[in-house]
Amino acid sequence: MMEVSASSVSLREFGCEQTLLSRPDGSASFVQGDTSVMAGVYGPAEVKVSKEIYDRATLEVLIQPKVGLPGVRERSQEQCVRETCEAALLLSLHPRSSLTLILQVLHDDGSLLGCCLNAACMALMDAGLSMSCLFCGVSCAITADGRIITDPTAAQEKESRALMTFAIDSTERRVIMSSTKGSFSVHELQQCIAVSQKASEKIFHFYRDSVRRRYSKNL
Amino acid sequence: MFSSLKEKVGQVLVPGDEFGFEAEDSISLTESAKPERVVCGPGLRRSGDRLVVSKSGVLRHKPPHCFWIESQQRRYIPAKGETVIGIVTAKSGDVFKVDVGSSEQASLSYLAFEGATKRNRPNVQVGDLVFAQFIIANKDMEPELVCIDGSGRANGMGVFGAGGLLFKVSLGLVRRLLAPHSDIRADLDRLFPCELVVGLNGRVWVRSSSTQQTLIVANLLQSCDTMTAAQRQQLFRKVQQGAL
Amino acid sequence: MKDTPLSNCERDFLIKAIEEKKRLDGRQTYDYRKIKITFGTDYGCCFVDLGQTRVVAQVSCELVAPKESRPSEGIMFFNIELSPMASPAFEQGRQSELSVKLNRQLERCLRNSKCIDTESLCVVSGEKVWQVRVDVHTLNNDGNLMDAASIAAIAALSHFRRPDVGIQGEEVTVFSPEERDPIPLSIYHMPISISFAFFQQGTFLLVDPCEREERVMDGLLMIAMNKHREICSIQSSGGIMLLKEQVMRCSKIASVKVSEITELINKALFNDRTARKAGRKCGFAESLPQERITALKTDQSEVEMTDVSERASDIIQKAEAPPPMAASPVLPAPGVGQVGHGLQNTWGLEEDEEQEEESSGEEEEIKMEEEQREKDKTTEAVVEISDSEEEEVVILYPETTKKPKNAGSSSDQKGAAASKKRQKK
Repeated sequence: MMEVSASSVSLREFGCEQTLLSRPDGSASFVQGDTSVMAGVYGPAEVKVSKEIYDRATLEVLIQPKVGLPGVRERSQEQCVRETCEAALLLSLHPRSSLTLILQVLHDDGSLLGCCLNAACMALMDAGLSMSCLFCGVSCAITADGRIITDPTAAQEKESRALMTFAIDSTERRVIMSSTKGSFSVHELQQCIAVSQKASEKIFHFYRDSVRRRYSKNL
Repeated sequence: MFSSLKEKVGQVLVPGDEFGFEAEDSISLTESAKPERVVCGPGLRRSGDRLVVSKSGVLRHKPPHCFWIESQQRRYIPAKGETVIGIVTAKSGDVFKVDVGSSEQASLSYLAFEGATKRNRPNVQVGDLVFAQFIIANKDMEPELVCIDGSGRANGMGVFGAGGLLFKVSLGLVRRLLAPHSDIRADLDRLFPCELVVGLNGRVWVRSSSTQQTLIVANLLQSCDTMTAAQRQQLFRKVQQGAL
Repeated sequence: MKDTPLSNCERDFLIKAIEEKKRLDGRQTYDYRKIKITFGTDYGCCFVDLGQTRVVAQVSCELVAPKESRPSEGIMFFNIELSPMASPAFEQGRQSELSVKLNRQLERCLRNSKCIDTESLCVVSGEKVWQVRVDVHTLNNDGNLMDAASIAAIAALSHFRRPDVGIQGEEVTVFSPEERDPIPLSIYHMPISISFAFFQQGTFLLVDPCEREERVMDGLLMIAMNKHREICSIQSSGGIMLLKEQVMRCSKIASVKVSEITELINKALFNDRTARKAGRKCGFAESLPQERITALKTDQSEVEMTDVSERASDIIQKAEAPPPMAASPVLPAPGVGQVGHGLQNTWGLEEDEEQEEESSGEEEEIKMEEEQREKDKTTEAVVEISDSEEEEVVILYPETTKKPKNAGSSSDQKGAAASKKRQKK
């Protein structure tokens, strides 16, 4: 039976800036510890005929690594983020249009996918796109001796036995997307989900605070 | 639900926040039992028997029962009856194609100008600005613009004259500028005379007696988005002292 | 995605303003926008803000075999990535004219000017050299990407540290930063590109054009220079004819700007060095502006963990037990495996009866009885079924099961079914 010690379960300091780029319709940067991701959203904009969908908007997600060109790892992360966004966005409100979400990795110090999801959500919110709920990403690592670490750093990720990232929705704290690596038991999985749901509260609280701060001048 | 909505007016909400129909079934005998009705504006959606917020922003209320979310968006989504500033991008047959900053180019018939007939075509070139109103705007159809009102009068719409500067601001600021008793407009009035055309798509056109003054107005408006009223008035005063 | 078209009104106004020596953002003709240089947590990572234009550069290195023509020289590789984040007009993975132009200029500015000592990047001559790669990503395009990219690239190169290597005989060991301090690149000088935009066929000139000015300009002159006033590259595009005096004037302006920017880069590098030495935090996370209302930051926070274990075990207990292991694979023929054959089918009678038909004649007697019973059941059931399409189908079974016993052909079944349907109608 695995014990969850309270000391390992903490989120690094995190921060976010919205509307920091002048060109995109919505932009945000999200920082978790040293991990930082910048996100830009364009849309609803004109769509290429080949990508047009008659009853909903086409969502494209691009993840740009800091070094080199996007590879298989980025493609799979793109898909995770896209599926999460598709679940949260009300795409049917803008048929035959395109939404483009670009994520630029600025520094990877662990929990990158989680950070990408958080940056994506902030950018989508900044762009004023209609969403049914918010979402956030939480990464958990299970160490060799069976402890759960939330929001692991790159070094902790390297030493861990398993790594999981969950996207959690804001209304009922359900899991929208999960991406796992390594081996773990069902019990460990459920524990990680429970931990992530707890951690998501903090992030959603932070979302609300930063939106409140942003609108503080036009209240 | 009405009371819970009213409670939140002026507060910041985020997507996913909900308002449910509470058990308000206890019909009071003194008041006439009127079914309560709420008109939802942008950012609020009905889902089953609940009202769900779909955009982040401040909840606003207009008596008696209009509610909407005010947000700072940049991308414009056409809505019927709204007046916008468009850029003519092409002439194709009987229509002009107009860029309004939305996901699709709007069409503008050459007959939809004051006094235009099949013989007497309006003089519109590619790259010109037009101030026009949406007559068709929904998500499934190509949006269509007109430069006349219901009685065939221009009513301030049409092609722009020479001069002036076009710039972009957030959609929230545009709505604040157009509000009936806009404080920004009042502040601007005290500076110097200028001509201002405000499109709901976030485009603003300004013309003043000199290039310098036009530039000042444009830069002031672009910086208004992230300022409190006090900060803005201070800045405007500074400009007034410096410019005059 | 297309960019917003430029209206005639903006074009006319811009040109008129330039004639009056005025610029959109209130700058003077020779003014640069505000430059901000920030370094990342990694070595060799640099953010440059030039007004609203933003780029990020990252330097990386790896050991590769050298080029045959230059066996004792390291390899420099430059790449400017026009990310769609910077402008809706940029597309992913497409080599546009602009991207070729920018990449070419950066290469000429930094590689061909020999500002980096490539010979010091050689580890074993003819076998192993360092390849230094500079990736510049555009984040926001508000004009003059070239100058921002060149500042970011040279600042990132000056900031970069490569791992130390040790050679013992044939063996090359790369030391991690913990084992040995990484080594900076040896940089001779810092070439910086300065852009000049020309209007009205070269009558008017602006330094550091913004995006709208770039759209209106007739021609562009890019001069790459170092602080010793040596020109490293010069490129004119747009097809305007410039006079000798104009080029001379531009190079004079460039020399002033370059010395200012070099000063700024050195100051930024010095600040970063002292911050690192003092063990303070640095990087993008630290550069997040605290005073803006669009930004917010929280401290490290603990997650409430009281009932997590209980909840997890609760969920598992409540969850359905996983189905027992499936039947072991059947091997109908060598080399073919089949799993799941012969399992209980839960779809209803139809399949059961068909199976029974297929079974051998030995059990026919018992079968008949069984079928009889089943027939009774089905007929009983049918009576209750309301008037739906299924009714016709089900009612047929008693007959069809009898018939094959007599005729044994499936075509008859179908015929019977059809006739029955006809009767019904």
